[in-house]
Amino acid sequence: MKLKNSGAKKHRSGEIPTGSFSDIAFLLIIYFIVATTLVKVKSITADMPSGEATQSSARDDTPAINLVGDEIRFKDKRVTLDVLNERLAALNLRDKEGDKKVILLEATRNTPYDVYFKALAAISSNGGIVAIVEEEE
Amino acid sequence: MRRGLKKKKRRTALVPVASMGDIAFLLIIFFLLLSDYNKEKSPPMTLPVSNKVEKLDDQIAARVNIDRDGVIYLDGVRVHDGKDIQAGVEALLERTISDDQRHVQFKCDASQPKDVYEPVLQAIAEAGGIIEAVGEDE
Repeated sequence: MKLKNSGAKKHRSGEIPTGSFSDIAFLLIIYFIVATTLVKVKSITADMPSGEATQSSARDDTPAINLVGDEIRFKDKRVTLDVLNERLAALNLRDKEGDKKVILLEATRNTPYDVYFKALAAISSNGGIVAIVEEEE
Repeated sequence: MRRGLKKKKRRTALVPVASMGDIAFLLIIFFLLLSDYNKEKSPPMTLPVSNKVEKLDDQIAARVNIDRDGVIYLDGVRVHDGKDIQAGVEALLERTISDDQRHVQFKCDASQPKDVYEPVLQAIAEAGGIIEAVGEDE
């Protein structure tokens, strides 16, 4: 009669099965491709100071942009967007410091965001700081 | 003598696949590092146009959207007004250390009136966010 386990022990190799690793890896790749956003949005950086607005923060000679509907006014004169850019570039805001970089931006209620955005872009691209003017109630 | 009857040698065409797993894992690491999960579904809107817009490379701390119906969203969640935005952005920026971590993406429909977008812009500024106003290139 043969005894159980009497013979030599079965030698099992301790190898980890890696055959399916590449399949798992490619599945993960597909997941990341689907979940990834590669498109970068385009934007302008609007530098707006935080804190409560005060009347003293604005000097009397602070340049002001007024938006009335689709119309742009700079220092109370009606201008086109190109002219506004030229006028702001002429102010050399990048070389100035502190309050002198500030441009007041005031808009009427019917001003669409499209026009406001263009004015914001003009100010920030010329190195200015935007100060929003609120209407008095 | 047998001429012209050379036996053609059959060559087995084995594609080397041993390194496929390594390549795959390298690709995974690449996508892991470059991934930016889409935190919110963009509501329907027409973006404003300008020739001054530049590609946004900064890390975004919060996303504020205003759709064409004037509905405001913070990171995809509908909020009521500017006060909600200020509280939400303040909370998100609470643990930030440097200015680079305070960029807030602002998307707004081009047709929205001042009463809708300006309080939101002010709220972001009050909360200490740096506004990244999204637009399209001309």
